[in-house]
Amino acid sequence: MNMLSLQHFPIYSIMVLFLGAFLIVMFGRNKVVRHAIALLATFASFFFMAALFRPVMLEGETIAYWMGGRVPAGGYAIGIALEVDALSLFFGLLVSCVVFIACIYSIQYMSHDDNVPQYYTLFLMLAGGVMGLVLSGDLFNMFIMVEILTFAAVALTAFRNTANGALEAAFKYLVVGCIGSTCILAGTIMLYAQVHTLNLAQMSALIPGNLSTATKAAFALLFIGFCTKAFLVPFHPLAADAHGAAPASISVLISGVLTKSGIYGLIRLSYFLFQSMALGTMQFWLVFLGSVSMFVCVTMALAQHDFKRLLAFHSISQIGYVLAAVGLCTAFGVSSGLYHAMNHTLFKGLLFLAAGAVLHETGTTDLDKLGGLSKKMPHTTVLFLVGAFSISGIPPFNGFASKWMIYQATYQKAVETGNIGFLLVTICALVTSTLTLASFVKVTQSVFFGQLPKEYENVKEVPFGMRLAMGILALMCLAGGLFPDAVTRYLTEPAARAVFSVTAYINSMMGQGYAQSAMAVQPAVPEMSFASAGVWSPISWLCLLMIALLAVTIVAIAGKYDRVSVRTPESLSGKYDLFYGGEETVYSQVGGDDLFWGFKHNWRHYFRFMHELHSGVVNDYALWAVVALALAVVYALIVL
Amino acid sequence: MIIDALKYLAYVLVFPGFLFCFLTGLLLCGIDRKLVARMQKRVGPPILQPFYDFFKLCGKETIVPAAANRTVFLIAPLVGLAGLVVLQLFIPVFSFSAFSNVADVIVILYLLLIPALSIIIGGASTGSPYAGVGLSREMVTVLSCELPLVLVLLAVGKKVGAATGTGLCFSLTEIVRYQMANGSLLWRLSMIPAAVAFLLVIPGETGSHPFDAAEAETEICEGMLAEYSGAPLGVYKLSHAVKLLTMTSLFVMLFLGGIGGRLEALVYALGLTGGAAGALVMLLSVLVLFLLCVLLTAVAISLVHAVTARLKIEQIFKYYWTVVAALALLSLALAWYGL
Repeated sequence: MNMLSLQHFPIYSIMVLFLGAFLIVMFGRNKVVRHAIALLATFASFFFMAALFRPVMLEGETIAYWMGGRVPAGGYAIGIALEVDALSLFFGLLVSCVVFIACIYSIQYMSHDDNVPQYYTLFLMLAGGVMGLVLSGDLFNMFIMVEILTFAAVALTAFRNTANGALEAAFKYLVVGCIGSTCILAGTIMLYAQVHTLNLAQMSALIPGNLSTATKAAFALLFIGFCTKAFLVPFHPLAADAHGAAPASISVLISGVLTKSGIYGLIRLSYFLFQSMALGTMQFWLVFLGSVSMFVCVTMALAQHDFKRLLAFHSISQIGYVLAAVGLCTAFGVSSGLYHAMNHTLFKGLLFLAAGAVLHETGTTDLDKLGGLSKKMPHTTVLFLVGAFSISGIPPFNGFASKWMIYQATYQKAVETGNIGFLLVTICALVTSTLTLASFVKVTQSVFFGQLPKEYENVKEVPFGMRLAMGILALMCLAGGLFPDAVTRYLTEPAARAVFSVTAYINSMMGQGYAQSAMAVQPAVPEMSFASAGVWSPISWLCLLMIALLAVTIVAIAGKYDRVSVRTPESLSGKYDLFYGGEETVYSQVGGDDLFWGFKHNWRHYFRFMHELHSGVVNDYALWAVVALALAVVYALIVL
Repeated sequence: MIIDALKYLAYVLVFPGFLFCFLTGLLLCGIDRKLVARMQKRVGPPILQPFYDFFKLCGKETIVPAAANRTVFLIAPLVGLAGLVVLQLFIPVFSFSAFSNVADVIVILYLLLIPALSIIIGGASTGSPYAGVGLSREMVTVLSCELPLVLVLLAVGKKVGAATGTGLCFSLTEIVRYQMANGSLLWRLSMIPAAVAFLLVIPGETGSHPFDAAEAETEICEGMLAEYSGAPLGVYKLSHAVKLLTMTSLFVMLFLGGIGGRLEALVYALGLTGGAAGALVMLLSVLVLFLLCVLLTAVAISLVHAVTARLKIEQIFKYYWTVVAALALLSLALAWYGL
């Protein structure tokens, strides 16, 4: 086979990252070499994924790759395989793109740290682990990649180990992350014992006709394992600690990339391996888990007063949207869920980078201490606002486009099935979106606006490289919101089709006709309809807004919006400062945790309950994990 | 092509866009002030007072506080006003809708956040502690109104969707068209609680008494507007007036769309056809819409304003999430079970 044929691209795209990690250990002493290797490796990984766009997304091919040419023999797939269908490629593109941008940002962001070569090594290991996970065609290799990415993430969480709480966060993550990984390993072993293969395609063909108690328990184990990777409730406290301590560029990967690997695992598990999503109870399980994560984490975020911890909780809240939409098991629902997964990676990346920029310049992320940075860091402020509007679902940014589809999808499902539960999910999603906005208004007021404390008067704008990385993400946020049709047509709809074409997935790996012969019951393919009841065309809206804005501006300038009548107090010899009715200006900012006390007062019992529940003790969180596992096993045994 | 472009430009600038919003919004505001004054046995300002205020503010000096972010301070009011005017374009005037395939009611729900955000961001940019308190209250007020509003819109969407056989319907144009053929939704038993809930949301969304904790001029000096002066302040006042029009006309189109059908029937009964009939229908529609908006302003804003005292912010939140949300939920439940 030609070395440059497309068949090889998936493995290249994983390999370059690990190779880069290896090379940096060897030659990474020199700054230029180190950066060159890291940038080159991450870009090459993205390039190899992008090259597969045409055959996989547009022409609907599935790329099956057997390492060492060990194709299945005697009806059993023994060799290690990679399989890239539209779903894998969708996540692969997303991951490699964000990794590249985070790498650009890292160069200047990490310039003041020690041990930078180790940082890049672990960074590339983490990226390679996630890429390997989403492209793998083999359950055991998925486990290996989970291990690699978990340990790389744990080490990176504690990378700034002098920072307050970094080691503690890493330890918590290690304990619960290991419980998750162990679950995945145990589930894999149990499935292997039942169906005697580890190949995903072959397992997908064999498991649905072979549902024993052991396979059902294995489902629960794998499910919980991937839930820990996505930090869904009840594993959300880990994410907060980890994000709070990790460098911003790593938070981007943990939130934008690592959680996606969990979502990817859940989709593969429930749609492919067990093909259980047609069951109403399974849909209920996923949608319920998604809605709970969505709501609990947004309220947890409202109670935070650390910039990055707040973002961490929002991250899981948005993952809740993704899971709720994916769990609907309609083509439109899955497509909107994947769209939101993509948007989440982009805007959450942007927000974490903005938080990193604030940390880089001021040395703190405490919302109670910061304030008034918009005058000192105008570009960061604008970029942050783009991210904040995106995550809060303000038109025309990308978060709105995908959330709007999720509202439609859940309500459509509710009307079709007559199930009032889905209606509650719609309401929950709509209200959560506004709560998200409230929480970001808090950040905006506490960090970028409000009063500037004395000690930050010499703060400067961040270096260009960091602004560039944020700018790319901000542009993608805007583009994703303005061209929803293009995004859905070329990215999420092919991926959603792939989610429902299990037979094609199996056959492209195991040979034509294998699925038909191995499966007693062919999986039913639901109607693939991407139609929605609503209308929203962002481009027309934006044109109208521009015309209106132009008109308003012209009138304003023709009126008194000019240099003569708009005056700043500097030109008035300090006569006008803030309005205090003649009293002396005092520093009296309401910010941080207390900003929305009107809301929190009414929910005080709930917040007190949550506060007591989240003890911060790792033993408790490990206990939650065990309880969740027990519940999952019981539920799986009953419903599957 | 050019004719189309000019037509759309006229929509944005004249009707139902900028000029229309400007005139009717400020007029509604003036009527409201006069009505409240009469209810409180005062003489009250002339009805055109908001116009005088606006032009006078535009002629005043604008002072940007030392702590403020100048760009955001000056741009935020303009974006808010533009967003509101564009939102008005998506609300049909009975059978006439300027842009019917751009945004549905769910989008309108979120477009309504843009003016609120503009005043929040603008207030925040001044760095004033009064604005800090004000924006906190404004955000909580927005949050309070959100839940009832969501429930009302879902109830209407379900009701119309079930009646037209499509399952659910979010297009405002479709909702109005359905009412013009089948009579207003307000007279359906299941929609009455939703209509009442929406009426109660109007004062909250427009920030008028008793839900004006965010701007409470007697305690926090108008909160987010404390530092604003001159033309930007005038623009905010104008936005507030336009919001009266937006919310009341949204109510008319959601619950009283059937009146449009009556109007058409009336004109055709007069024996008119062709362009003359169209023009007359249009004229009558605008007139009736304006009168209904005045009526709704009188009921939902002026009357409530005159008889209540300002609530505290946590009371506002509690009121909306219990009483008003319960009304809307009742409506949704009735619509859900096909009543």
